[in-house]
Amino acid sequence: MSQLILHDYEMDEDSYRVRLLMSFLGVTAERVAVDMFPGHVHDSPAFRRLSPLGLMPVLEIHGTPLAGSAAILATLAACQDETRQWLPTEPALHGDVMSWLTFSERALAAARQARLCALFALAGDTARMEAEARSAFRVLEDRMTLNRIEGRDWIVGTQPTIADLALFPSFALSRDYGIDHNDYPALRLWLRRLRRLPGFITMPGIPDYH
Amino acid sequence: MSRLATQWLPVALSADIEPSTSAGLHVEGHELVVWRDASGNAHVWEDRCPHRGMRLSFGFVRGDHIACLYHGWQYDAAGQCRHIPAHPQLDVPQTIRVPRLAAREAAGLIWATEQDSLTFPPAAETVAAEPVQTLAINTPVDRLADALSKAGWVGDGTFGRLDVEGLRLIVGLHPANDGKALMHVLVEAGMAGPRARIEAARFAQALRDRIEAGVAIPGEAA
Repeated sequence: MSQLILHDYEMDEDSYRVRLLMSFLGVTAERVAVDMFPGHVHDSPAFRRLSPLGLMPVLEIHGTPLAGSAAILATLAACQDETRQWLPTEPALHGDVMSWLTFSERALAAARQARLCALFALAGDTARMEAEARSAFRVLEDRMTLNRIEGRDWIVGTQPTIADLALFPSFALSRDYGIDHNDYPALRLWLRRLRRLPGFITMPGIPDYH
Repeated sequence: MSRLATQWLPVALSADIEPSTSAGLHVEGHELVVWRDASGNAHVWEDRCPHRGMRLSFGFVRGDHIACLYHGWQYDAAGQCRHIPAHPQLDVPQTIRVPRLAAREAAGLIWATEQDSLTFPPAAETVAAEPVQTLAINTPVDRLADALSKAGWVGDGTFGRLDVEGLRLIVGLHPANDGKALMHVLVEAGMAGPRARIEAARFAQALRDRIEAGVAIPGEAA
């Protein structure tokens, strides 16, 4: 996997998920900026040849495109992390990580869309999106509360995994669309731990740890 | 008038505000920041930097100062501005201050009031408790207190004991904004193994969901 090209967009949270894992793993890629807003380049015929659903980002591995953060996180964690910390091979942990990737894609879809509506003035039922985002954050808050009582600081197991990376950006960015962090003390502490990990990088809306 | 003017309110679990961190907090129209300095003291202030009105809860804690995320103005534990990075030589005027509330810790909770002459609730002075969870509930605080009382909660409407399913819970409430309430749940020390705290968390989460759905809660008289 020596030749990597990442098609990403600075303000896109899924692009950030991939950049962040690459930073933790020490993997570098050539970057191609995709003008999602206002350009809608991710909807263009040329980009759809790389990503049939228009999913962002796209990672080209030796010329083969891989689209969407979940597929890219799982692939990089399987191929570029000899310790397998980020995607454990032990079946129960592996399954748990994969199910939280599904949660990110489905339950946090409304959170992603609410943010895009707020930042780029897209049309949509933002009240419904915010309500769905709050429901998803509550599930995560309850889970992290139980984990903490059991002495576990991360979503799955005792170390950070790609499940954490698939989940936390939507919460970290929630203030972009008017959901403050007051009601989520366990998620706030989890976010703080993530920001202190060696190799952590920022994006607009997710500042460095001070 | 908010209840902060007339009584001590439990506003957060002590364990949720780690040293050198801050968090935003709404209490009946008040926007507050609760933060803990590096030596462990908890503070509850108005959540506004006097400079540009930025939320101090977005800022960061350095030693016994909290700094605003915008321009780095630093405030000491008395709320007095001590340092303005853009004017490092300036002797900062005494008038640049953040309004503070009185804050105390007892029973595993951080408490706040606007009237520090008020007597602190004696029931909270003597309890030792282990933290479980703070839950945001979409119901007015009086409705929540009423439902808890019917389930056997013995307290003063803000803080008390609830014996359920072999657990002795300590439950504190405060009204947030927009008709929401925050419920702080702990278990009395002595039964505080992880198992008791897990059961308490599951009980509290189910209670929240039932109250929001308008379903009678366990123990509540029909």
